[in-house]
Amino acid sequence: MEPPNLYPVKLYVYDLSKGLARRLSPIMLGKQLEGIWHTSIVVHKDEFYFGSGGISSCPPGGTLLGPPDSVVDVGSTEVTEELFQEYLSSLGESLFRREAYNIFENNCNTFTNEVAQFLTGRKIPSYITDLPSEILSTPFGQALRPFLDPIQIQPHGGSPIGRPNGQS
Amino acid sequence: MARAREEARDSQLVSGREPTSRIIRVSVKTPQDCQEFMLAENSSVHHFKKQISKRLHYDTDRLVLIFTGKILRDQDILSQRGIFDGTTVNLVVRTRLKGTLPGPGTLPGPTDHCTHHSEPSTSESAGMLARLGRLAQSSPELTDFLGQLAQLLTAAPESVVQFLENPVIQGLVNEKPAKARQAPESSRQNPQKPEPTLKALETLQNPARQQELLQANKQDLEALTAVPGGDNAMRPVCSDIQQFMLFTLAPLVASKGQNPASELCKEEANAHSNTDTTITIPTASAPARPLTQKVRAGQATQARSVASNQTHSGCGLRMPDINSGHNLLSQESQQPIGKATLTSQLRPSPSALCKALHVLQQNPALLHQLASGSPLQHHLPLLPILTNPRALQALIQIEKGLQILSKEVPGLGRCLWDPGRETREPSETRDGGQGQRAGSVQPTWAVLQLLYALAKACSQSTQSSLSSFSLPEGCFQQELEHLKAMGFANHDANLQTLMAAGGDIQVAIEKLLGLPEAQVPPTDAYSVPPHGEGGKGRERGRGGEGK
Repeated sequence: MEPPNLYPVKLYVYDLSKGLARRLSPIMLGKQLEGIWHTSIVVHKDEFYFGSGGISSCPPGGTLLGPPDSVVDVGSTEVTEELFQEYLSSLGESLFRREAYNIFENNCNTFTNEVAQFLTGRKIPSYITDLPSEILSTPFGQALRPFLDPIQIQPHGGSPIGRPNGQS
Repeated sequence: MARAREEARDSQLVSGREPTSRIIRVSVKTPQDCQEFMLAENSSVHHFKKQISKRLHYDTDRLVLIFTGKILRDQDILSQRGIFDGTTVNLVVRTRLKGTLPGPGTLPGPTDHCTHHSEPSTSESAGMLARLGRLAQSSPELTDFLGQLAQLLTAAPESVVQFLENPVIQGLVNEKPAKARQAPESSRQNPQKPEPTLKALETLQNPARQQELLQANKQDLEALTAVPGGDNAMRPVCSDIQQFMLFTLAPLVASKGQNPASELCKEEANAHSNTDTTITIPTASAPARPLTQKVRAGQATQARSVASNQTHSGCGLRMPDINSGHNLLSQESQQPIGKATLTSQLRPSPSALCKALHVLQQNPALLHQLASGSPLQHHLPLLPILTNPRALQALIQIEKGLQILSKEVPGLGRCLWDPGRETREPSETRDGGQGQRAGSVQPTWAVLQLLYALAKACSQSTQSSLSSFSLPEGCFQQELEHLKAMGFANHDANLQTLMAAGGDIQVAIEKLLGLPEAQVPPTDAYSVPPHGEGGKGRERGRGGEGK
C-alpha cells in the first residue's frame, strides 16, 4: 500500500485591532493583551474560517484582512480534501451554523481549534483560545459583556462553503 | 486478527479473568456529538467500525476514523496507532459509498449517442458529459440521477443536445466542487435515492421549475467565488449591485482618496449581495432605547475602537444598534455605507498610529473620555481623525481658528466652551445643541454623522487640550496677570486653578494657597517650570499672536 499523502496544516493568525490592543489594553482592561485574535485554518491551499456568515473559505490571505500577522504550523494531516469538505459541511450544520456564532463562546477561534484537532490532533495555541476568558475576567469585560455579546464578526472576501438548496 | 477479536470478546464476556488485552474507553467524536465505546485495546479498526456501525446505524463502508490527523485503516490495531484509554477519535460519515458507483457504466452510453446524433456540438457535449461523469463519481445521488437521465435521453437523442445546452445544466456542470458539497447535504436529507432523482428529472423537464433551480443554483454560484475562475461567474450576478454601491459610496470614498477604500466598497457590495443577514440586531435593544443607546454605545466604543476602528476593514463589525433604530431596510443600506465611510478612513500606517497614540497620551482627558463613555455616534470617527496626519493637521487648524474666534468673541467662547466646567458636561450641552443638527435623517445619515462627529471631536480635543493650549489663557489673561503679580508664578497651576474655579480669581487664590507645593518666590516670577516648557513657550507665542 502506498503511503498516504500528508498535507500541511497552518494556522493564520490575524490581529483585528492591528496593534491597538497591545497599546491600549493595559489602560482599558488593566491587563496586557497582545491582540484581538482572529484565526483561520489553511489546508489544501484554501483558507477556512468561521464568522457570522457561517463557515467560509477563500484563497489563503484572501480576506480583506490581508496577509496574516503570524502563521503557526499546526502539523500535517492525511485527511483528503474531499473528506475535509464533508467534515466541514457536517460541522456547518451542527456546531458551526451561521446563527450559532457568538463572539465569546463559539467564535472563529473555537472553530479553528476544532478543525485543528480534527486534522492533526493538536490544539491551537492557548493564548488565542484564552482570549475571551481573559477579557471577561476583567471588570471592564464583565461590564461590557451584554454589549459585546451581540457583535458579529465576518471577514469579507471569502464565500460560504456549499450549502444545500433552499436553506440559508 | 480473528484470534485477537475472539480474545477481546472473551475478555469482555468473562469478568474476573485477567484479560489478555485491556478494555479501553475510546471516545468517538462526530461533528454532531461524541460517544464512548468500550473495546479491547488490541482490537482492529475494522472491529471498532463494526461497533460504531451497530450503534450509530451507519454502514461501515461509510465510516472514516481519523486520529491525530491520520486516517485509520481497517487492518490497523488500535494500540499500534496510539489509541489508548481515554483518547478521542474523530469520525466522519461519508455520504458516498465507496465502490458502489453505477454512474461510469451508464454514462458512456449517451456519449456515444451524442457523437452519432449531434455533429456540431459533439466535442462540447462529450466534454460536458465527461464532466458530468466526474460529477457523478463524486456523489451517489447524482450518479443515479444521471444514470436515469442517460437512459431517458438515449430514447430522445436530440433532447440530449438541448439538455446539455441548457444554461442550468451548464451551471450545474460548472459547479463541480460546489455540487460535490451540496450533494452530500441533500442526500443526507433524502436517504432514499429514487425519489430525489425522479424529482430532479421532473424538475429539469419542467421549464417552470428550471427557474427555481436557477435560483437555487445562485447560491452555488456564490460558492464559485472560492473556486479559481469562479469570480467570472459571479460578476454578472453581483455587478449591478456593486455598481449601485459604488455610485452611492463614490462621493464619500473619493474624499478619502484611498484605493483600498474602493476595494472595500466593492467587497462590501459583494458581501452585501452574498451574505443574507447583514444586520444583527438583538431584540433586547428595543426597550429604553435612548438611554441604553447612549450608555451602550459609549461603553462599546472601547471594544469597537480596540477591535474594529483600526481594523483593516476586512472585518465587518455589526453593532447591534448602530443606527438610531429605523427600519431594517434603511439600516441595511446605511450600514454598509456607514461602515464604508468609517473603515475607508481606517488605513493607518504604523507611524500614523504612533502619532495617534502620542496625541492620546498627551491628552489624557481625551483618552479618558474615549474610555469612559460618550455616545457612540459622536465617537465614531475620532480615532481615524487621530491616525490620519492630514486630518490631524486640519483638526489643529480648526482648533486654532476656534481659539481665535473665541478670543474675538468672548461671549461665544464662553457659550461654547465653558472652560471652568468638567470635560464631560460641555460635551453634553454640546450634544443638545448639535443634536438638532444631526437629527435622525436616514439617507444622508452617514455624512451627517461624520460632520457631527468631527465637530464633536474638535470640541473634545479643544476641551482636552485646554490644559495645553492657550484658549483659556486668552480668557483669563487678566486673572493670570493678577495671580502672577501676587506671586503665583506657576503658570500651569494658575491656569488650571482658574479653570477649576470658573474664572473666579478669589476662589482660585484660595485654591492656590491651599496647594501643598511651595510657591515660587516673586524673584523667580518669570522662571518657567521645567515640565511642559516647550509647549508653554509655544502657547505663549500663540497667545501673543491671537491677541
